[in-house]
Amino acid sequence: MNEDRKKKNNPEDEKNILEWAVFSLSLLLITGILGYLVFQTIQHEPGSPDLVITYETAPSPHAPYRYHVTISNEGQETAEEVQIELILEKDGQQLELATLDILYAPKESSKEGWVNFSKNPIEADTLYARVVSYKKP
Amino acid sequence: MGNNKPVKESIVEYAQGSVGGLLFSFPLLYTMEVWYSGYLVQPGNLIIMVIVTFLLLLGYNRYSGMHPGTSWKNVVIDSFEEMGIGLIMSFCILLMLNRIQLHADSLDEIMGKVIIEAMVVSIGVSIGTAQLGSSAKENGDQKEDQEKELSDAEKAGKKRRSSKTALVVLALCGSIVVGGSVAPTEEVLLIAAEATPLHILLMSIASILLSMVVCYFIDFKGTGQSEKKPAIYDIIFDTCLSYSAALVSSIFVLWYFGAFSNLSFWNIVAQCIVLGVISSLGASAGRLLFK
Repeated sequence: MNEDRKKKNNPEDEKNILEWAVFSLSLLLITGILGYLVFQTIQHEPGSPDLVITYETAPSPHAPYRYHVTISNEGQETAEEVQIELILEKDGQQLELATLDILYAPKESSKEGWVNFSKNPIEADTLYARVVSYKKP
Repeated sequence: MGNNKPVKESIVEYAQGSVGGLLFSFPLLYTMEVWYSGYLVQPGNLIIMVIVTFLLLLGYNRYSGMHPGTSWKNVVIDSFEEMGIGLIMSFCILLMLNRIQLHADSLDEIMGKVIIEAMVVSIGVSIGTAQLGSSAKENGDQKEDQEKELSDAEKAGKKRRSSKTALVVLALCGSIVVGGSVAPTEEVLLIAAEATPLHILLMSIASILLSMVVCYFIDFKGTGQSEKKPAIYDIIFDTCLSYSAALVSSIFVLWYFGAFSNLSFWNIVAQCIVLGVISSLGASAGRLLFK
């Protein structure tokens, strides 16, 4: 009886089909997200960043000695202020050094950039890349 | 089933909620530090964020939502809906702003960014639905409302809304929404680090004065028809509650965004007071606006 009166006075309290649909979708979304986060929390192992550099020649009309660089973080932690160097060497002597700074390298993600050399890399016998430094965020 | 709310009315409510959500969360959606914290925050902390936001939504919908006499069941349903809308909206906006790239970013990064942004969006949705909805309604059926007799549930709801618990819940929501959009920025740390103890003291006094002025107006407005001035005790009590709520929410959001790591106790206190200036305005003015 009391319940009936409540319904009568508050018709807004009765949900319609659209509201039930939005509610069901939201419930599904939130429980899915929470489930995933709980799974990630259980799976999570503390670790450090682990950066891998890949590069390939990518000349453009105004930058003939340009290289495309990809930095992948395969570690368990984000790296901040990543400094990368690409070095050209001939007979053990350094010909040229190009640097690239990346603000953040999130875990299990990759970031891209380009470096330019002023000398033709063909003149060198060695080209290698290395990560100079990064910090804990 | 015959008493169901028309679908058209629900669509209008969702639109009002979405506008409110955007209004309160756009500053945060356009803040660089929040995107970064998306991949810096651990999954465990994201869970805490979701739970705390859900509790705030429950509190807000119970004490200030659109329908005063609504049942707990509907409060829970509404809170789920608002959080769902918040999640979808923040995903779409971050995608539009090119802050998430589905092909390049990891699932963790996308989830982190979306969840952090979605929490403020959903509180905004809740405020938008209640405030835009109730003001539109007031304009439409003002006369009808005056004549209509309130049900027992609505009377109880109205009474509940003037309680001190309602004050604390609204103060917490207001300070999280207003302070939360500033907390992740570097500026809070910078101001705190460069301030002398005198500056911090002045900030603290200013926050308390601001809260007091706003509380005076709320209490004055609350007495309404009788034109009676509010008692000094009430103003002091409300100011204390508002400022405490502002400091508690400042501590929570600053801790959440990692502002306390490896800092001295004084620096932590200073940061809380710096953010407290904004949060206290959110806590007290939030109550004025969201009521």
